[in-house]
Amino acid sequence: MVEGTREWLEGVHNGSVTAAERVEGLLETIKVSELNAYITVDERGARAAAVAIDKTIAAGRDPGPMAGLGISLKDNIAVRGLQMTCASRMLADYVAPYDATVTKHIRDAGAIILGKANMDEFACGSSGETSAFGPTLNPRDPKRVPGGSSSGSCASVGGGLADLSVGTDTGGSIRCPAAFCGAVGIKPTYGLVSRYGMSDMAMSLEGPGPVASDVFGAALLLSVLSGADPADCVTSEPGTDYTTAATGDADGLRVGLVKEFIDGVDAPIARAIKKAGRRLEKAGAELVELTIPSVRYAVPMYYVVMFSEFSSAMAKFDGFRYGHRGDADLDGLEVSVSRTRSQAFGREVKRRVLLGTYVTMREHRDAWYTRALRARSVLRQEFLDRLEKADVLLGATMPCLPWKLGELVDDPVSMYLMDVMTVSANLAGVCAGTVPVGEHKGLPTAVQLHGRPFDEGTLVRAMSAVEGGR
Amino acid sequence: MSDEKVKGAGKEPLERVRIGLEVHVQLKTNTKLFCTCPTDYRDAEPNSNICPVCTAQPGSKPNGLNATALDAIVRIALFIGCRVIKGEEVRMLRKHYFYPDLPSNYQRTSLPVGVDGRFASIRIREVHLEEDPGRYELRDGQVDYNRSGIPLVEIVTEPDMSTPQEARDFLRALSLALSYLGVARDEPGSMRCDANVSVGEGTRVEVKNINSFKGVYRALDSEIRRHRRFQRFGKRVVRETRHWDEAKMITIPLRKKEGAADYRFIPDPDVPPLVIDNALVTRLEEGLPERPTEKEARFVKRYGLDPYTSSVLVLDLEVADLFEKVAKRTDPVTAAAWLKDELRRVLNYNNLRLSETTITADEIVEVLKLFRDGTITDLTARRLFEWLAAEPRSIRQLIGRLGLGRIAGEDELTRMARQVIEDHPKAVDDYLDGKVNSLNFLVGMVMKTSGGKSDPKLTRDALEKLLGAERLRRAGDSVLS
Repeated sequence: MVEGTREWLEGVHNGSVTAAERVEGLLETIKVSELNAYITVDERGARAAAVAIDKTIAAGRDPGPMAGLGISLKDNIAVRGLQMTCASRMLADYVAPYDATVTKHIRDAGAIILGKANMDEFACGSSGETSAFGPTLNPRDPKRVPGGSSSGSCASVGGGLADLSVGTDTGGSIRCPAAFCGAVGIKPTYGLVSRYGMSDMAMSLEGPGPVASDVFGAALLLSVLSGADPADCVTSEPGTDYTTAATGDADGLRVGLVKEFIDGVDAPIARAIKKAGRRLEKAGAELVELTIPSVRYAVPMYYVVMFSEFSSAMAKFDGFRYGHRGDADLDGLEVSVSRTRSQAFGREVKRRVLLGTYVTMREHRDAWYTRALRARSVLRQEFLDRLEKADVLLGATMPCLPWKLGELVDDPVSMYLMDVMTVSANLAGVCAGTVPVGEHKGLPTAVQLHGRPFDEGTLVRAMSAVEGGR
Repeated sequence: MSDEKVKGAGKEPLERVRIGLEVHVQLKTNTKLFCTCPTDYRDAEPNSNICPVCTAQPGSKPNGLNATALDAIVRIALFIGCRVIKGEEVRMLRKHYFYPDLPSNYQRTSLPVGVDGRFASIRIREVHLEEDPGRYELRDGQVDYNRSGIPLVEIVTEPDMSTPQEARDFLRALSLALSYLGVARDEPGSMRCDANVSVGEGTRVEVKNINSFKGVYRALDSEIRRHRRFQRFGKRVVRETRHWDEAKMITIPLRKKEGAADYRFIPDPDVPPLVIDNALVTRLEEGLPERPTEKEARFVKRYGLDPYTSSVLVLDLEVADLFEKVAKRTDPVTAAAWLKDELRRVLNYNNLRLSETTITADEIVEVLKLFRDGTITDLTARRLFEWLAAEPRSIRQLIGRLGLGRIAGEDELTRMARQVIEDHPKAVDDYLDGKVNSLNFLVGMVMKTSGGKSDPKLTRDALEKLLGAERLRRAGDSVLS
């Protein structure tokens, strides 16, 4: 068996490798890597944390469930005392004054924070190319995109620059890059993982989630991240230990093959779905065919809702309290704010702010925003309904293999359409995960599974069955 | 839009004025609406009661809605006769505009929590919850976010008032009602209001930045005069928002309604919808106090007070409650008169609330009893009210200390003064010869005799009275001799 998260953990626990040695190895790999997966590397903090873990182990105390594993966090998550740039000029010098709730959980669990991962600027992108700190490269083929927006998270895991990573997923931002980088990623059910300390993109759609090199690792990190948080009032459910669900068996599971998540995907992806289906059957699952008609409208729904919430969330960046400030004090407030924003936001961010402002204007709101919200509730209902007929839903994560850097940068609509398979989980508020199935000409192929709200256990089980046949 | 000529304008008699108010009230809570920062924004160092939430640091999220604020708004809604929105989702909205006092550049404001009320003869359209922004000092370009996130209730009336006086009366009644509920911050500036005003068929204008009852009267008066002036000259009033400049006593244009700000309201995705259940409403309804108007009527009926006295007593719930305790044990009408005049005078003078003193019903009853049976004079009773307000001490102690008691018809103080005069003939002679300073010596001697328990002023009065009599006696003697 290939060495994975379990073996790494055991190595630290039984003393065959110290946390300090593991971290040193990871920092060395990061140093020589050209993937541009990190914006900030916290060598000093990581070394100190590793020493502390080794001491805890030596003293015979419990070092926590992720002891000694090196982790990267997407740079839109607050780590007290570290820069939190959101990959934007706007926050290039912003140092987070507090820890996100997930950051606290990670520290408590004994993981070692290596640094902050590159990403699309303010999570706006599906390719990892909109970062103000330069694009992240795909660890399997540096001429290709790693996917986005959690590009650095998935490239760091896929490229061996981190054992685990925390990404965030608003419309596929964990699953897309995980699929492209050959990693496992889970978008948890909305409300399972606290968003406190994660910079907003579209608040009704998103949350942090785990990226790992295997299903066990993703389940482990999810167990640590999840749970109700008084600081984030959309969380309500307690977390649980999801690693016990990563058994590889799928006995009695009903797996829905969703037409809309299969039709029209590129041939290597179609073959991956077939292969995943066979593995699930072999592990004891039953396949049923389903359709979810509203998925056809998911992309426009998603973009209208996301643009709207994004334009609201981005209003806080005016240069007065923190971040970049345009030098226009003498010209009055409005000019100062405009100059700050036009200087420091990238093109895709501006495009989305402007579109979101447009669709929430008084005269357009009913035609766009209100309608999108109505459509969204129809889609959610369809999902919940299909998840009565099946325990999990199977289909593609991305409809194609990673494209070449620069290929879609100037074609935003084509780029948006790449999210067709991923946005539904966010709109419906269900959980979803992506698992690598194999590869095609050296590039990873992956499938996506959707699960019921707060039924991450079943999702992990099905994902481990897909992985198990590897 | 430019001012247009209106046909036949200038010929009509005075037309009907319609005034509607939007009243903002800061709620009295220990913590802010969506975070646990303390709500002291007046005395605290600028930007000391802040956190990532109320300064909108990237990644911060609103914590759950402050339950005390929710209770407060439901109680207000019920008290002013609104129907509380029960069992339905009440969304918190984001109202977007760029201003430095607003850390996220949107203000959270809820949909109505109560609707269709009636209070002081004015229809209430709705009440809803809001967050207060920080305080922006335009001049030095500084913002203090201590106030950012303090819970506000906005009360919106229908345009049912027709004079500035009615608007002021409404606000006074509302303010009194809020003081009965004890839910609002009782500090200056905690109640702010915007007014909508139109004259006749004229355009509606909104006047913002009114911060006092007097301000409401003046702002409306000024604005109505402006409308009338325009109409007299056949000009049309433009639909716009104006700003009340308290210093200059005029309203000035803020923005035209046609180009009015579009706040791009969206439901705040970070705050789950509020659902107010029946049990909460029932519980809060049961705990509501008697309304001031009801109390006023009851005092008249039950205790035989005259309507004016009753209306004054109910202006302060603490005083009204004290009155009821006292009225059960002594003559209510006398008690009411004393509380209305003396107690309120003393409290106002010392700028104290009754609860900030140690005055009890027992003490009031005792003072009134002593006054009634002739132990103390009217003046002494008044002074006792002053002393009661100033420090905690029993009535008997006070009387002893002040030498106010009349003992067997002879004042203790007078007795001591007489003794001092007898013992110090030289000082008396000096005084009667015009050496005014000698009086101070005599006062000091009485004080010494009384062990410092006599009041200097009263001592001086007593001495002067006795010395006056002595002067007369000597004058009489010299005439006779």
